[in-house]
Amino acid sequence: MKLSYKKNFSNCFSGQAHLEPLAWIFALMNLIFVTGAMGLGVFLLVQSLPIMKAEGLDFWLGENWWVGETYGALSMIVGSLMVTALAVTLALPIALSAALYTSEYLSPSLRRGVKGVMELLAGVPGIIYGLLGISFLAVTVKESFNLLYGNTLFTAGCLLAIMILPTVLTLAEDALHAVPIEYREVAEGLGLSKLQTALRVVVPQASSGIVGAILLGIGKAMGETIAVLMVVGSLDRIPGWNLFVSGQTIPSKLGREAAEALGSGLHWSALMGLGLTLFFMVSILTYSGTRFTEWSRR
Amino acid sequence: MARFKWVGLALLLLMGWSFVGDSAAETGLRIQIVGSTTVLPVVSHAAQQFMASSNTRILVNAGGSGVGIFSAAQGRADIGMASREISSNEKKRFKNSDLKTHSVGLDAVACMVSSEIYQSGVRLLTRAQIAKIYMGKITNWKEVGGPDKKIVVIDKEHHRGTRHVFMRYVFGNATQRTPGTILVTGSNNEEQTKIAQSDSAIGMLSFAWINEDVRAVIIQDQNGKFAPTLKAVQSGRYPIMRELSLITRGEPKGKIKAFIDFVKGPEGQKSVVENGYIPVGVETSKP
Repeated sequence: MKLSYKKNFSNCFSGQAHLEPLAWIFALMNLIFVTGAMGLGVFLLVQSLPIMKAEGLDFWLGENWWVGETYGALSMIVGSLMVTALAVTLALPIALSAALYTSEYLSPSLRRGVKGVMELLAGVPGIIYGLLGISFLAVTVKESFNLLYGNTLFTAGCLLAIMILPTVLTLAEDALHAVPIEYREVAEGLGLSKLQTALRVVVPQASSGIVGAILLGIGKAMGETIAVLMVVGSLDRIPGWNLFVSGQTIPSKLGREAAEALGSGLHWSALMGLGLTLFFMVSILTYSGTRFTEWSRR
Repeated sequence: MARFKWVGLALLLLMGWSFVGDSAAETGLRIQIVGSTTVLPVVSHAAQQFMASSNTRILVNAGGSGVGIFSAAQGRADIGMASREISSNEKKRFKNSDLKTHSVGLDAVACMVSSEIYQSGVRLLTRAQIAKIYMGKITNWKEVGGPDKKIVVIDKEHHRGTRHVFMRYVFGNATQRTPGTILVTGSNNEEQTKIAQSDSAIGMLSFAWINEDVRAVIIQDQNGKFAPTLKAVQSGRYPIMRELSLITRGEPKGKIKAFIDFVKGPEGQKSVVENGYIPVGVETSKP
C-alpha cells in the first residue's frame, strides 16, 4: 500500500504531471487530508497526556468518575461495548437478509425504491432518531418490559440498531449487487437454484464489502452521541449483565460534559482520554475486521 | 479538462467566500448569551423584544450555569446566564476575569414528583427523607407514605445550578455525591420530560416547570413546612431560593449594558414574572 503510494507520488514528479496545475491542487488536498487525520490522533494523544500521568492504568480500570477527584472510564467503556453489541446483534440479521433479498430477488425498479428509502434513512441526523427514541421507544420499552423507567442501555441499543440498519443494508446490498452477473449466469447454468447461487456464489464474492458495511455500522453505533445521550439514562455505573438499567457510553459522557469542562485542566484531559479510548476501540475493530476478511479469503 | 479547471476554481472561490462570510458577520452587532436553562426563557423572551427595537442580534444558547460562568469568564460569550452563585472553585479559577454578577430575578427550586405519586397521597417530604432517597437509603415510595413502588431518583448533571442549590439545602453541600441516583438529566426540559414519563419519579426543578404531570411537594424541615407557592416565595420563607443572574467579564459596556438594563427594566421584569419567577426589587426578608 505504502509502496504504491510512493511510486505514484514519484510518477507525479518525474512525468509531465507537475506541469498540470490541477495535479498540484489535488496533491495539496491530499496533504490536507493526511495532516488532518494524523493531527486528530496527535491532538487527542497530547491532550490526554495529563490524565494518563495522573491516573495511569486506573483511567481504564477505575469505576468512579468524580469530577475534581478521580476519573475512571470503565463504566463508559463497558456501556459503549454493551450498547454496540446489542445494536449489531439486532440489526445484522435483518440488514443482511434484507440486502440479499433486495439484490437478488427484487425487480430493478423495486430495488431502486428500497435503495432510495434506505439511503434517505441513512442520512437522517441522529437528533431525529433521538427524538423518536425519547418520545416513543423509551416509553414502549418501559411499558412492554414492565420497567420502572425507559431510559436504559437496552433502549439505546434498540435505537442504535434502527439507526445503523439502513447504512449496513444499503452498503451490503451494494457489495452484493457489484458481483458480476456472469457469476450468477454460470452458477445457474450449472444447475444451482437461485438461493444456492445467492448463498454459495454471490455472498462469498461480496464478503469483503459486507464486512466493510458491518464495520461501518459498528463504528457508527459506537460513535453516536446525541441519540444515545437522550435515551441511555446517563448514569455512570457498570451495569453488570443487565441491559434494562440506565448506563453511560463514551460519546454520551463527552456530550454531557464537554461544554462544561472546556479548558479546565484535568477534567478536559479526562474527556480527551475518553475520546482517545473510543478512537482506539474503533481502530482496533476496523483493523481486526480487515485482517479477518484477508484471512478468510485465503 | 477545461471543465475540471472550472470546478477547481469554483471550489477555491467557495472556500474563500466562506472565510469572508464569517468575518463580515463578526463586524455586525451581535451579543452571545449562554448558560442556565432556568434563566434562558426570561432572557430569550427579553432578547426578542430587545431585537424588535434595535439592530443588535442576540443569540441565546443553553448549557447550564457552569457553562455560562465559564463562557463569560473565557470571553466565549458576552453574557453568561447562571442560576446559582459563582462557586469558590470558579472564583479561584477565573480570578483574572473580573466577573460581574447582575441579578435579574429570584427563583425557588421545588422537590418534584410524578403526578401519580402526588395523587396517591405523597404531598409532603421532610428534608431528611429527601436526603435518604438521594443517598439510596429509601428506595420505595411506601416508606414515605406512598404506593408500593420503587423510586426513580432523578439527578442533574453535577454542574447545573438547580442541583447546586437543591443539594446545598438537602445536604449542606452543593456537590454532594448521591449514590441513590438512577437517571441523570441535563436541562430543565429534559428533567421535566423524564419525571413526566415516569410514574414514580422524584427530581428537582424550578417552580416555573410545575405542571399537571410534574408536581411539587411541601418541604418540611426543623423550621416548619413550606408549601411550593409563589406566596411562600414572596414572603421569603421558602427555603430553597436563589438569584438568577447575568454574568459579564468586567463591567458591561454599550449594547451589552443596554441589554442587561433592559432585562432589569420594566419590560424584562415582566417576562421574569410571566415565566414564573420573582422580579428583582420585590421585598423579601431572605434573598
